[in-house]
Amino acid sequence: MEQRGRMPKRKRRESLMLTSMMDMFTIILVFLLKMYSAEGSVLTNADNLVLPNSISKKKPKEVSLQVAVTGDMILVDNQPVAPTEDARRIPNDEPNPIVAKLEEKLAGCYAQEQEMVKMGALNQIMGKVVVQMDKNIEFDVLFKVMNTCGSVGYNKMNFAVMEREGGL
Amino acid sequence: MANKIKKIGGGEQEMDLKPFMNLMVVLIPLLLISAEFARIAIIDINLPEGRGSQTKTAVKKPPKEEMDNKLLLTAIVTDSVVTLGAKGGFLPSLFYQEFHRYVARDDQAEFTVKYDPKEKTPPKHPVSGREMTIHERQDILLYACDETFSEIKKCLYTPFGEMVTDADGIVVTAVNVGDTVYALTNPRRLIVVENPAEFELKPLSIYDELKNRLMKVKERFKDADDAEDIIIAAENEVIYDKIVQIMDAARMADFPNISIAKLRS
Repeated sequence: MEQRGRMPKRKRRESLMLTSMMDMFTIILVFLLKMYSAEGSVLTNADNLVLPNSISKKKPKEVSLQVAVTGDMILVDNQPVAPTEDARRIPNDEPNPIVAKLEEKLAGCYAQEQEMVKMGALNQIMGKVVVQMDKNIEFDVLFKVMNTCGSVGYNKMNFAVMEREGGL
Repeated sequence: MANKIKKIGGGEQEMDLKPFMNLMVVLIPLLLISAEFARIAIIDINLPEGRGSQTKTAVKKPPKEEMDNKLLLTAIVTDSVVTLGAKGGFLPSLFYQEFHRYVARDDQAEFTVKYDPKEKTPPKHPVSGREMTIHERQDILLYACDETFSEIKKCLYTPFGEMVTDADGIVVTAVNVGDTVYALTNPRRLIVVENPAEFELKPLSIYDELKNRLMKVKERFKDADDAEDIIIAAENEVIYDKIVQIMDAARMADFPNISIAKLRS
């Protein structure tokens, strides 16, 4: 009853308070800008492959040949080449362990590089390879893959890793 | 006075935030799409000398004078021991016990199990009892232990997770107010203890102890011709993840030129 007698309140125009939202957006924007990389990535991660974490912050500068080794397959530039079991089957006492199918594929890639040098598309043969290896692979397989790469002529090797905070 | 000025001005003026909001709404999704949350980096690796070029000139022995100023630092890694060798001698071996930290994919449950090389079946989820897959293994933790593998060694760590040593690089297990200790950074950071409760006694990580020893080697032989080189020689069964962590320890101790070699059984 009392309410009826009261003077009706004047309608006030309510505006949305955007200050806190603006603060939040600014923080997100700064964070994302910090994360943003204009260079992009020249490395692609193969499926079913977990790279080890490392403090290394060195970025791959140019596109080079990628050899990926997962638990069950060896891939060159994301194309399956040989089962990893092939590398495991090579006897441990073999003085020069070579994974035959991988060597064949790499030799083809090396020949392509040579051809590009002849055509003038490249100054010299790079001989660079980035090895992406699953972190749970045993050293034996790593060594045999490295030896195969080295025997073909890919002597400048890099290991791909996942960057971890607090690195060098 | 201030009120008067307001009235003359014709009420409070609010900044129009709409264009700014529009910009944010466009920018944030755009950046979210292009952001790299997991970045891939690379580690440079050298092939061991002589590999791939087994010619007579490559395997020829260098003169004795050249060898005298060589450090020839080698880290030998097996499934239970890490040993550092330099100048033709060896430092005392670091024995370790291996623990695996798993994170379950389904319920994100975390647990750590001691690794037994003789045990062939994978560990089981503590609640559901299902067998864990190899890709659910997040970390391989190596803790220093005694020669009988019965007792894990411990060490004080700073609140930032840095191992604490004394001036000689010996592991510290207790501190008092006023003590002077060093955090294992490169170079070592001096700490005067004000509050001993800040430091936590934890199992001694083999990677930290390895970095500590490598830093001592570096300090002593910094003038060697190959003062930046290290060869990591591992057994066949050693997991690649361990090799990468050892490489990290070497790089943090200022040995950036890393070569890989195989330990012949």
